[in-house]
Amino acid sequence: MSAIDDLVTELAKLPGIGRKTAQRLTFHLLKQPPEEAGRLADAIRQVRERVTVCGVCGNLTDEEPCAICADPRRDGALLCVVEEAADVGAIERTGRFRGRYHVLGGRLSPLDGVGPEALRLERLLERVGNGSGVREVIVATNPSMEGEVTATYLQQVLRPTGVRVTRIARGLPVGGDLEYADDVTIAQALEARREMSEAD
Amino acid sequence: MPLVATSAVVLQTYRYSESSKVVRLATRDLGVQSAIAKGVLRPRSRFGAALEFLSEGEAQLYFHDSRELHTLAAFDVTNLRRGLALDMARFAGAAALAQVMLKMAPPAPLPAAFDTLTAGLELLASASPEGVEAAAVRALWVLVTELGFGPSLASCVRDGAAIAPSDGAPVAFSAADGGVFCRRCAPAQPPTQLPAEDYRDLLALNDPAAALPALDAPHAAAHRRLVARFVRHHLDAESLSALDSWEGHAWAILSPSPAAS
Ligand SMILES: [Zn+2]
Ligand SMILES: [Zn+2]
Repeated sequence: MSAIDDLVTELAKLPGIGRKTAQRLTFHLLKQPPEEAGRLADAIRQVRERVTVCGVCGNLTDEEPCAICADPRRDGALLCVVEEAADVGAIERTGRFRGRYHVLGGRLSPLDGVGPEALRLERLLERVGNGSGVREVIVATNPSMEGEVTATYLQQVLRPTGVRVTRIARGLPVGGDLEYADDVTIAQALEARREMSEAD
Repeated sequence: MPLVATSAVVLQTYRYSESSKVVRLATRDLGVQSAIAKGVLRPRSRFGAALEFLSEGEAQLYFHDSRELHTLAAFDVTNLRRGLALDMARFAGAAALAQVMLKMAPPAPLPAAFDTLTAGLELLASASPEGVEAAAVRALWVLVTELGFGPSLASCVRDGAAIAPSDGAPVAFSAADGGVFCRRCAPAQPPTQLPAEDYRDLLALNDPAAALPALDAPHAAAHRRLVARFVRHHLDAESLSALDSWEGHAWAILSPSPAAS
């Protein structure tokens, strides 16, 4: 197999990239100065070598602990539990959450063989335990069936600690249109309705 | 490539590409089938939140006779079964039921098995908190029976002799042989000796018309073990993730209530 075929094959394994796009990217790289392609190759190698899982929260990081866990300005009383490290990025992009995170590394899914032992739950209990200063755990697992049952399980596991456990709201997407929303989403939005106040 | 409509329950989904999922469905008219739901992962997918584990609805499938993977055109959800996610025991029982359907049902029309599956899910959703364990055990036995693997409980698996439990003697049961033995045929060391009371409970659990027996925790565990062993034996499977997790109360490990204190 030629070097060109090699790269096309590797690129085509990436999500969202078909064979045609992989070919286009390959020829694009060949037109660039060699240093350019070298930087890309280095960056790929570095990300695999340096990025690890934060020993505290489970986020992906190249320092230990991660920047969020190490930041003294973050509110240690608020802990947001998410399924995957990518979810931390999604919440961070909003710039609205000033607490810390806990990444489970998945969600309960018995048919896929994912049980409680596969999630980072013992570490979570340590973090929430006595003297930790955590006052509220926000359960931000996905609103899927598996995400919901994981939330139920977390609530059960955290109950003895006495910490306040909250669940992120479900409902209509901002900028959405009632007419085009599906029935389930509308029903859940109605269920999760709240009083209107001046502050909103 | 005909478009067919059928009632269906979502048994499993997995990611197929950046925007699509493969959905394994228990359908009323076509048995267990796999279909690709194109674009389901896009933010404004026409499938919305419908293709969730255990949700029930009307599926429209482009049915490819020559292929194993069909195309899901629409899924209008009628029952999301969200309540099952609010209770670990109900959810674990429902997941075990879904796994039995996935592993034991053929890709051929089985309306009675489909109705038994949905009735089992309803039973799990509506059972009283004390009755959840018995409800799950019953739902599994009844589904296994409807799929053609039911145990022989009223008569001996060897010679067909009627079993008379009224004398209070234990009854021998073997998953490998597919049911109970009369006293004459019982092996010297049967895999399971059912005390008369447990045998009566087993009969009641297998009879959808009977009242659900009240099972305390050790008896519920024994009945879970019995049906799980029976299913594993008939599937020739060492382990079945959802069934094992339900049988062993996997979710109870970290729960400090029974263990720690
Ligand atoms: Zn961290
Ligand atoms: Zn006999």
